[in-house]
Amino acid sequence: MPAESETADMCSVILEPREPSCNDGLAYWVASSATVESPLSEIPALREAPFPVGAPSLPGRFLRHSDEHTVVGMRAVLEAIARFPDPRPSFEAFGVVGSPCLPGRMASARTLMQLQAEGPATVSPHIVPQCSLHALASAVSVGLSMHGPNIGIGGGPEAMAEGFITSLSLLDHSNIPGLWLVFTEWKNEPTLDAQGIAPPDAMCRGVAICLMPTQRGAARLTITLPGTRLASNSDARTTPQATGTLAELAHALAACNQGDVRADWLHVCPWGAHVRISHDCAADGEK
Amino acid sequence: MNPSDKLNRRDSDPVLITGIGVVSSLGNSFDAITDSLLAGRSGVRSVDLGPLARDRQQFAAPVDDIPSPATARLAADPAAFARMDRLGQIFMSPIASALDDAGMPADLRGLRIGLVMGLGAEQLKAWENDFLVGGRLVYEPHRDASLVHRIAGILGIDGPAVTVAAACASSGFAIAIGRQWLQSGWVDACVVGGCDMLSPSGIAAFYNLRALSRRKDDPAKASRPFDRDRDGFVMGEGGAFLVLENRSHAQQRGARVYGEVAGVGMSSDAFHMVIPSTDPTHAARAISLALADAAVTPDSLDYINAHAAGTPVGDVAEAGAIRLALGNAADHVPVSSTKSISGHLVSGAAAFEAVACLAAICRQAVPPTVNLDNADEKCPLDHVPHTARQRRVDITASNSFGFGGANLCLVIRKAR
Repeated sequence: MPAESETADMCSVILEPREPSCNDGLAYWVASSATVESPLSEIPALREAPFPVGAPSLPGRFLRHSDEHTVVGMRAVLEAIARFPDPRPSFEAFGVVGSPCLPGRMASARTLMQLQAEGPATVSPHIVPQCSLHALASAVSVGLSMHGPNIGIGGGPEAMAEGFITSLSLLDHSNIPGLWLVFTEWKNEPTLDAQGIAPPDAMCRGVAICLMPTQRGAARLTITLPGTRLASNSDARTTPQATGTLAELAHALAACNQGDVRADWLHVCPWGAHVRISHDCAADGEK
Repeated sequence: MNPSDKLNRRDSDPVLITGIGVVSSLGNSFDAITDSLLAGRSGVRSVDLGPLARDRQQFAAPVDDIPSPATARLAADPAAFARMDRLGQIFMSPIASALDDAGMPADLRGLRIGLVMGLGAEQLKAWENDFLVGGRLVYEPHRDASLVHRIAGILGIDGPAVTVAAACASSGFAIAIGRQWLQSGWVDACVVGGCDMLSPSGIAAFYNLRALSRRKDDPAKASRPFDRDRDGFVMGEGGAFLVLENRSHAQQRGARVYGEVAGVGMSSDAFHMVIPSTDPTHAARAISLALADAAVTPDSLDYINAHAAGTPVGDVAEAGAIRLALGNAADHVPVSSTKSISGHLVSGAAAFEAVACLAAICRQAVPPTVNLDNADEKCPLDHVPHTARQRRVDITASNSFGFGGANLCLVIRKAR
């Protein structure tokens, strides 16, 4: 069965410039989060799997045409909703940012092979609506009836940095009560076989984070952005940093949840800003 | 930023458009596109998309010529543009052109400039471009930098850079996010917009969705939004990029101003992954939010550039949303769909249609919906059929709706 990590709790995220003096940004809370990992072989079952206890249900067979990233990302959102501290808010006006890394690769391979071998009449009509960059965010919005903006962000190796900055933008300016930020990736980007299929043990990972501008329960996560400047450093773009992977983010969220005061996660954005997650001692006091 | 700070900032330092770059079937300059839109000169024609095309009589609105950026912009890597595939060139050209048009220096390093690109299927296009020439990129594990970061690197754009996807509304959301960055003070200028390119798999997928017109006998008549006999959209190619700046920054450097991005409204139908909701409430909400953000009333609108792609369901849904948002004002606010002329530029559509609004403001005339011979009675709006309508145009709105129920409205007005 897919592995699931615990809800993030008592941690802080800081998107900061290189100059600390510029750090006068925004603060948000993570009301809930969850990580789901599933091997490719178990994704068909996950499409139809029973919903987590306490999570809302999706329309029947809603995920049958979805990309693997969407299936795993949606499951992470459902898990996070199931763990949401009481009182759970209505998500009706929430926004959704979906930041998958290289979504739709298997579907694209199959599409291109069919196109070449059998002609355009065999191309699936689902490739655009279900396997493009927007599909993850749209599926969460449609499946869970969220009427705030839904957008796909990134699509490549910098999807995390792009997802974070866009989420901050939307929360700060869109008058929405909260936002679901969902990251997905293949744990190791797989080699596809001649039929365009990844190995059955290829692992897909999804991390769902619910960001809210007001404190929710005991879990507190703050995000701050520089109000005056995002630091520039052209070298950062040409020499991308390997720190702050999605796996490390999932681990840091779990560590924060366990009260590990040493939990610390740093992601260097290609434009020089830093995204940081660390345990928030203030939340301990509030509890 | 608290709500009153946001309002103060909007009013005291609005976000202006100071540069335009375009690449399209109608031309590659603001003037050329403005001329074509107001003349109702369609870019739709028969095209040869190669052996994998849907059918030999394929039609679309393709880009014929993609101008190379000025040599000075490629100083760090003069061969960079030539090495790019068609998708890369279709983006790079208008981005560089918008920077030129805004009078930005060739060397941007160290400046606080951001880049937001609307692009819904970058990887699929890249894999397809490679596959069709015998490559195996789609099969191999790779994590190459995204196009937005490659372009930012080549042009020396050091600020934040993201790719945004909301299907056919992608480049509108790119404009919205760039505006937010300026309002937050994260950047001093931001290049925003989007493009798309024709591809065999894309055309096949939309055709098999029954979203495309099948009027192959007369391509230029095929795109007919709001017409009773519409049967789908016609794919177009290209798009547009804008340079956005706060007024204070634009004034400081003496920049020319095309207009103001005065309001943004966003919402989701949360109804279906493909089909727009028959309930206009949420699409109308995006329009109402944009008007409220711009602090303008429905009565004060001089023009609405509709998303209207020419699909039977979508045009009716949008007409309902416009009527719900505008109320009685919908009886006298002119509405047209420039997709009848340009085709549907998909990821690039919203930005291109923002340029159409600027064209209307610049020439004080509303571009027409060509091929609108018999308006659908289910779309009761103040249509502008066939020929442009001369009138005062100071405040415009542009709607964009994408798969997955993404709704966006931009209010673009003459700079105050």
